[in-house]
Amino acid sequence: MTSQNPTAERRIRIPRPVYGLAAILAIVAVAGFTTPSFATLDNLFVVIRAASLTGIVAIGMSYITISGNLFALSASSLGALLAVLFALITAQFGFAAGVVLTLLLAGVSGVAQGVAISLIGNPIITTLAFGTVFRGLAALLSGNSILRIESDLALWIGTARPLGIPTQSWAFVVAALLSWFVIRHLKLGREIVLCGANPQAAIASGLRVGMVTSVACIALSTGVAIMAMLTVSQFSQAKADLFMGYDFDYIAAVLVGGIALRGGRGSPLQAALGAILIALLQNFMLLNGFSAGLRMTIVGFLVVVSISLFHVLQGKSR
Amino acid sequence: MLVMTDIVKRYGPTLVLDGVGLAVKAGEVMALMGENGAGKSTLVKILAGIEPSDQGRIEIDGKPVAIRSPGQARAAGVGYVAQELSIIDSLSVAENVFLGDSSIGIMRSAAKLAEMARPYLDRVGLDYVDPLALAENYSVAERQLIEIARLLSRKARIAILDEPTAALSESEIIRVKAAVRAIAADGCAVIYVTHRMPEVFELTNRVTVLRNGKSFAPMETATLSIDTLIEAMLGRQLGKMFPPRAARLGAEAVRLESCMTPGLKAPVSLSVRSGEILALAGQVGSGASTILRLLAGVTPLGSGAIFLEGNAYAPKSVADGIASKVVYCSDDRKRDGIFAVRSVPENLSAPALSAISRFQLLSGSLEKGHIRSIAAKFGLDERYFSRLAGNLSGGNQQKVALGKWIGLNPKLLLVEEPTRGVDVGARAEIYKHLRELADGGLSIIFASSDTQEVLGLADRIATFFHGQLVQVVAADTATAESLTRDVTRAEQAA
Repeated sequence: MTSQNPTAERRIRIPRPVYGLAAILAIVAVAGFTTPSFATLDNLFVVIRAASLTGIVAIGMSYITISGNLFALSASSLGALLAVLFALITAQFGFAAGVVLTLLLAGVSGVAQGVAISLIGNPIITTLAFGTVFRGLAALLSGNSILRIESDLALWIGTARPLGIPTQSWAFVVAALLSWFVIRHLKLGREIVLCGANPQAAIASGLRVGMVTSVACIALSTGVAIMAMLTVSQFSQAKADLFMGYDFDYIAAVLVGGIALRGGRGSPLQAALGAILIALLQNFMLLNGFSAGLRMTIVGFLVVVSISLFHVLQGKSR
Repeated sequence: MLVMTDIVKRYGPTLVLDGVGLAVKAGEVMALMGENGAGKSTLVKILAGIEPSDQGRIEIDGKPVAIRSPGQARAAGVGYVAQELSIIDSLSVAENVFLGDSSIGIMRSAAKLAEMARPYLDRVGLDYVDPLALAENYSVAERQLIEIARLLSRKARIAILDEPTAALSESEIIRVKAAVRAIAADGCAVIYVTHRMPEVFELTNRVTVLRNGKSFAPMETATLSIDTLIEAMLGRQLGKMFPPRAARLGAEAVRLESCMTPGLKAPVSLSVRSGEILALAGQVGSGASTILRLLAGVTPLGSGAIFLEGNAYAPKSVADGIASKVVYCSDDRKRDGIFAVRSVPENLSAPALSAISRFQLLSGSLEKGHIRSIAAKFGLDERYFSRLAGNLSGGNQQKVALGKWIGLNPKLLLVEEPTRGVDVGARAEIYKHLRELADGGLSIIFASSDTQEVLGLADRIATFFHGQLVQVVAADTATAESLTRDVTRAEQAA
């Protein structure tokens, strides 16, 4: 039924995360009916566990996108470098020193990339170059060999399941909520959003665009550091070719989550949902024995479809 | 020559054009006027084949024509110069003149093309322009004239000019007007969309007013006055466009002493008192807007000194200016005045994030109070709070761009082109609110190329020419003629 009264003119806005949730429900429904082993509680934990590490980095990546800097292509290489550094420091000075120094170095790499992006003006090129530097440093520092650590605490962090849920999933949930809170409720978060929406207007309003870019890079680096430390802890080892080729996964989660490429819109929660959505799809395809090539094709296709879909939806809301 | 009847156009549930008619004779310049959203642009876009109409007839020379695409419009002899110029910088002037003309083979030599472009360029007053030079070497006004030359090259018999002078200064407008007169004299029927009153009276033969998607019978321009025309556009008594001037002024708020900065050719000394509105009048490049950017902290002070309420003031950045409560609104609000994809409240609180936060945490109640007080001071309807700034009309966008500064309780408000792209009704409102703020003790300096605005809004007028301050006069002693003479004075002396 359509109503013609004037109050009906005000369009009800559907928040973007709702599309992501709807897509997740759709996949769960279809997969649940067709694949008996899919809709079990155990499998749900498996999916969230699978989404966790990618999701943590995607949440950090969403800061880059929302702040108007498109994407960073250095996340996977930085992950390898931080993993190597974490392993070296932990082996030498213990786990606590490893965590603190790795986070600190992640912050430094974030500031360095942020400043460089502000100077060069192109985040893609800048982070591509930084990625090569990071991967090279990781190879140098590790001497291209496998670094092992022996730390019970690390092993516990990497493999424990408090309340039956893996630490990785806890970290994912906490990171998602914290990031959402920063964007939504902190002055800094509003500044990030406004700088992404229109950097020129942000400068004209006295906002600190350069600082915001660095903060976004630090957010990503922190996510990468957490991923690296959790991975090294779980397997008690690190090497320079870790996370090779993962950059697309992080970016795909951001895109499938529906965060606008142009910046200034969206929430880190969307990146988290995007990561879960891709993990669900991957899991469903694995359970049905899809080949690796087919899985890759379908995920890539999903990214194309979701970008196009969000583009159309955005055009309509104008 | 051209008769459009009963044109209807809907966008979704909104009826934009509700049975509009427009008739233009050969050799005549017809002004098409109306507030923003009245449907002017939609109507001319239908004629130009850019938008399809839902209903209606178009006849040219008594024969009905179907115009559904720009190509059909061109074939029917309709030429269209859009608000956004379609000049390609990296092509030569001649290539721009013949852009999109399929009768010109791609093998035509540059020299031949230049020779072909020559008469059209001459006709629009660009006889000194080298057709082989790249278009990027020429000013906005010259590019506008190149667009008109393009219409001529296509043998357009109906020329649509959509706000051709919106971005031009007074002396550049004179050149566009001359070109328009020239093509009308050649028998072209000209449809001239504009917001600027002086042009209507100097240039056009008749005026068609659109209001709320309806058209009114054309009026002979000679029988109209500015007031009757504005009232026809608004559909109500306007009272007066401009509020009364300041009754009394406060102490000196800002003083510039022999200031030099890139863009100026001679040191400038000026002062503004609290509660005063000072207009800076001048053509593009005259230095008028340089003074605003200098005070705002965009351009650094070369030599000389600035005093803000008696204290030395030398901002190194926009943030410095804001910290000293000196705020600046540029003439390009889409570029740096608003955050188009964010909501109106987020726009209004953008420069005041510290004021609406407690311990780095945004406070919803502080923000609400902040934006409500701005909305009240600037006549911004709270219904718009749920909208994105980019979805507002030009007038409301300008209110947001200006209003966001009011929340900071600034001492000095610097505005470049305060009402560019703003319709008549919203314009009068903005003038009223600016005057109210000045009466509350704010000093305002604005630069404008709109003579009416300079004369009507300011208490005093500083005229600039070629990077120099010419003189400062009381606004009530200035006239449109004296002002035009001042801002172009060396041109006339030469």
